[in-house]
Amino acid sequence: MDALIYTLMSGAERGMRAQQIHANNLANLETGGFRADLELATSKAVNTGYGYDARHMSQLQANSVASRAGVLRQTGQDLDVAISGQGYFAVQFGDGEAYTRAGHFVVDQDGQLTLDGRAVLGDGGPIVLPQFTRVQIASDGVISIQVPGMTELQQVDRLRLVKPEPAEVTKNPAGLIVARNGEPFAADETVVVRSGHLEGSNVSAIEEMIAVMNLTREFEIQMKLYRAADGMAESGNRLVGG
Amino acid sequence: MNPAMWISKTGVQAQDAKLQAIANNLANVNTVGFKRDRAVFADLFYQVERPPGARNDDNTVSPSGVQLGNGTRLVGTQKVFTTGNLQTTGQTYDVAIEGQGFFQVEQTNGELAYTRAGSFSINDQGRLTTAQGMPIAPEVTIPPNATNIVIGEDGQVSANLPGQAEPVQVGQLTLVNFMNPAGLLALGDNLYQETVASGVPIEGTPGQDALGKLRQGSLEGSNVQVVEEMVDMIAAQRTYEMNTKVLSSADNMLQYLAAAVR
Repeated sequence: MDALIYTLMSGAERGMRAQQIHANNLANLETGGFRADLELATSKAVNTGYGYDARHMSQLQANSVASRAGVLRQTGQDLDVAISGQGYFAVQFGDGEAYTRAGHFVVDQDGQLTLDGRAVLGDGGPIVLPQFTRVQIASDGVISIQVPGMTELQQVDRLRLVKPEPAEVTKNPAGLIVARNGEPFAADETVVVRSGHLEGSNVSAIEEMIAVMNLTREFEIQMKLYRAADGMAESGNRLVGG
Repeated sequence: MNPAMWISKTGVQAQDAKLQAIANNLANVNTVGFKRDRAVFADLFYQVERPPGARNDDNTVSPSGVQLGNGTRLVGTQKVFTTGNLQTTGQTYDVAIEGQGFFQVEQTNGELAYTRAGSFSINDQGRLTTAQGMPIAPEVTIPPNATNIVIGEDGQVSANLPGQAEPVQVGQLTLVNFMNPAGLLALGDNLYQETVASGVPIEGTPGQDALGKLRQGSLEGSNVQVVEEMVDMIAAQRTYEMNTKVLSSADNMLQYLAAAVR
């Protein structure tokens, strides 16, 4: 069988799997703090076998995340926090820590600050708040509370904020951001947070729709080539059969 | 089959759930003491097909791997406990909470439920009840011939009785607070139930500690913002639409594939 059909198969397969990534991005268009996955096609030369060097298999690469900021929207809740500019919140994940842009924090029954059930980390580990009448999160992540019966706010903890380079991060299977080398990032003083706001997903609906359209058409072309390869094989068979 | 189809399906389902939450919020725009629900989404787990740093052969290490997401899911709905607008009604038994706290209500099964809807009335025995007729705890009974019923900021209920110049205290309203009000279970009828997530109720006098003051003659309106819900609705509808587009484009791919094979 001609090698053409296997080469274009790699292209078609890549297209189908890339579609999966864009479908996932679009499904998360409304997920707060979601960062879009980036997808990239690379070529891989086939060095072994017969023939001359014309075969390059297409391969999908996808494990980096878009670092563009999502849209901030006002919610008016004190414990909704968004990061303006680059940076991440740190949450407990297993024994280590993972990072996220989602900031819909909730105080659980023990006063621990959580995000979807995971403990939010401060300077000294998980943040626990005593009973309060009012809570305020400053732009540098400092959490102050007003204890019942007191008039002044007092500082209790500070959100652990990190600012890695976009190339240093990837997603873990739970969808949280982690360091590529597995080491925790150092806290960064320059990250600015905004209380009372939430960040939306940073998926661009237009880009994703165009990519989906493009991939569908590319796939169609691969299928046309598949037919051409099939036609060629058929002509060959006819020659032999007479 | 093309996995993009199932991924888009999760997106469509999530928007469907969100629309349901929005519809419920909008339906309750005039419900006293109603707190809006907020749908919270999270991305589903990722399948790591090839981790970055995997060996291609003896000499080369793959610089990046392949991770494929599996869509989105509804983590839950969060009750948003911001204060609604206070409306002045002038009614004696309308009480609004200005700040944090919940009234306690005795359910028919004897268990306590919690509410912020303060449109109270009195039943045939003179006992203070909710608009649905459930008695308020601790018990407050208004004597039959009492006049000038005043509910103070601190929850003290006093009334003038015939033949007495000074008003007398006939009851005391208390409020409870929770560590995590968003963890309360909404029962409908403006009632909430304590859960493991909410923590135990902490009872106190209105205006003290973290609890809000009471305002007689006012009601707390729903905290639903119509414009916000409308914008959310448009966004949900368009996201739904785009996910179905991906669904049909994934279907197209399979159609091309099927057509290519003879």
